Amino acid sequence: MQLTLLNLSWEQRRKLTGLLFVMPTVAFVTVFFIIPLLMTIFMSFHDWPLFGERAYTGLENYQDLSKDRQYLKSLDFTFRYTALVTPPIFILGFILASLVRHNIRYIGIFRTIFFLPVVIGLGVSSLLWTWMLDDRIGVFNKILLDLNLVPKAQLFLGRPSTAMNVIILSVVWKTVGFTMILLLAGLQAIPDELYESAEVDGAGYFRKLIYITLPLMRRFIALALILSVIGSVLSFDQFYIMTRGGPRNSTISIVFWIFNNSFTYFKMGYGAAMSIVLLGILVALTGLQLYVLREKE
Amino acid sequence: MIYRKTLLLAVAFVLVLGSLPLAAQDDQINMTMWVRSIPFQTQAMVDEWNANNDSQIELTIIPSAEFVTKMGAAIAAGEPPDIASIDLIYTPAFAAAGQLVDITDFVKELPYADTLTPAHMELGRYEGRNYAVPTGVDGSFIVYNIDLFEQAGLDPDNPPSTWGEMLDAMRAIDALGDDIYGYWFSMNCAGCNAFTFLPFIWASGGDVLSDDYSEATITSDPIVRDALAFYNTIWEEGLVPEGASIDNGSNFVSAFTGGNIGMAGMGNFAIPLFTNDHPDLNFDVFHIPGKEGGAASFGGGDVIAIASGSEHVEEAWRFIEWTMSDEAQIEIYAANGQIPVRLELVNNPYFEGDERQLTAASALAVGFTPYTTVYNDLFNDPNGPWLEMLQIAILDGDIDGALELGQERFTQIMEG
Repeated sequence: MQLTLLNLSWEQRRKLTGLLFVMPTVAFVTVFFIIPLLMTIFMSFHDWPLFGERAYTGLENYQDLSKDRQYLKSLDFTFRYTALVTPPIFILGFILASLVRHNIRYIGIFRTIFFLPVVIGLGVSSLLWTWMLDDRIGVFNKILLDLNLVPKAQLFLGRPSTAMNVIILSVVWKTVGFTMILLLAGLQAIPDELYESAEVDGAGYFRKLIYITLPLMRRFIALALILSVIGSVLSFDQFYIMTRGGPRNSTISIVFWIFNNSFTYFKMGYGAAMSIVLLGILVALTGLQLYVLREKE
Repeated sequence: MIYRKTLLLAVAFVLVLGSLPLAAQDDQINMTMWVRSIPFQTQAMVDEWNANNDSQIELTIIPSAEFVTKMGAAIAAGEPPDIASIDLIYTPAFAAAGQLVDITDFVKELPYADTLTPAHMELGRYEGRNYAVPTGVDGSFIVYNIDLFEQAGLDPDNPPSTWGEMLDAMRAIDALGDDIYGYWFSMNCAGCNAFTFLPFIWASGGDVLSDDYSEATITSDPIVRDALAFYNTIWEEGLVPEGASIDNGSNFVSAFTGGNIGMAGMGNFAIPLFTNDHPDLNFDVFHIPGKEGGAASFGGGDVIAIASGSEHVEEAWRFIEWTMSDEAQIEIYAANGQIPVRLELVNNPYFEGDERQLTAASALAVGFTPYTTVYNDLFNDPNGPWLEMLQIAILDGDIDGALELGQERFTQIMEG
């Protein structure tokens, strides 16, 4: 082995080393992404029950999508949810990042506190919030009742009007720390000299924000935005646990509907077709975000 | 040197000891069994079996609403339990998919096969073959609180027999106090309402499915609208606690035990809980009435089946056969207040003189169970059309919209 390596030219060895370095990633992506993706595409052309006989049906699953009232409702719901949950995560994330930006004494404590909800699972946090929002034993109702802000205990998760809002509240609490960390990295990458010279030129807070901070954070914002939007479009746990899609099936996200079709109605092929369409939508959406937030030369 | 010898001996000793139980386990049959979270006496059955047999059964309790999903996933993964206690309503779907062991030959040998509850046997059959036998019999009826009836000036010996009389009774009881309510329903629980609300429609001569289960009759049968309007009135007038609107079934049984609920839809499975855990609860039962009289019941409960792929079919059947024996049915089921699955055993020493048990058991005579492979998708799925239709009609008051939506989604599912 050593002999053969020695016989290679420098250039060949360099290429071989590079190949060996990327091999684990290539293997990982192949096994956990490429193969499942190809299988999903294959399944989407079949009537594929969870168990029992399967049959080739061509494009039928895709044609059925347009007649599926709940699928369209779920798409609408998911994008409405994404549009509503993203701004608070960003604005709050940016404010928190600004607050903990400078390395002063004990700042680590605050960074940790803000980041802590990120490290607990979304399932656990959803259960936690379900109980906190409960009408009989929940802490929110207790506080509201004690302050005489509401006449009786509120069924937050039981009303279509409030269910989405309280779920958004819980998700913002859960994920804002992650966005904060990404934006914090961006903020800290900006040299202080830029701000100092801007101050000398008489720039106030908002001018510095618009002409220095935001442009220089473009890449970090793009990364945080793409991760956040993908996470919201693929959301499932919070709806499955907190409302089970209710009330009146008003909180069934698209992944929830894929899960239902695949594992409750046993229509794996149909679920696969929905997944492929969702993948297409996400690729387009991410492409759009990258285009809008691209570095201008 | 001596130390080393001692050490070696000790190691050898531990190795021998450790291998002994392993050797014993090799001969022993270990079976797995799943049951949904319904308080039948399944655990007691399994405990009794494990105490008296070499083969051992490990029982897992699955949340009712997730049973089909979990069972489907287990089958697809090639690891189903050996024995499954399945809501009878799902048996056609699992049998049709070839996931249950054909037990026709075993069933033929049973001397009492003819007296097993007919609804369960019917649902356990697919294309003329038997795939399951009854293990938990559960008809629906209405329970009522005798004390509250008396306080409200109602005659507990003559419970309501029409929807109008039920409403009057609810209003009278509701007027007793702020914390006292006429009725309870779990309006975020799909299965609970198939069990206790469908019979209101059936008892009035209506149905949501055509006789041959080929189409939905939600918009064409006027009784469906009437029944939804009946429940809508209950909600609008505040005759149920507000929390009932979001109860996913976790309070289906316990709500009534608080003693402040006049009436509630219930099933046989709850009677042992009431009598054993709430001896002070003074209750009786009556059949679910139709609009102008009549009676109906949902023939519910569980059947027991062996999953395809089980390596212990013979032993699993030995357990199943034992669960239907006189010993198990009387000394475990009846003794704990649960109705035996063999009709001739309803007259047993434990039920003697208990009118409630006899009335509840007689609900099975007017019991009916839909036979469709898409039952879960239609009725029990928390995101299915049944619950959505009920919530929109009863809680939101949009009966027309609900009927139309229900008809459309039912048809879509039934057409595949």
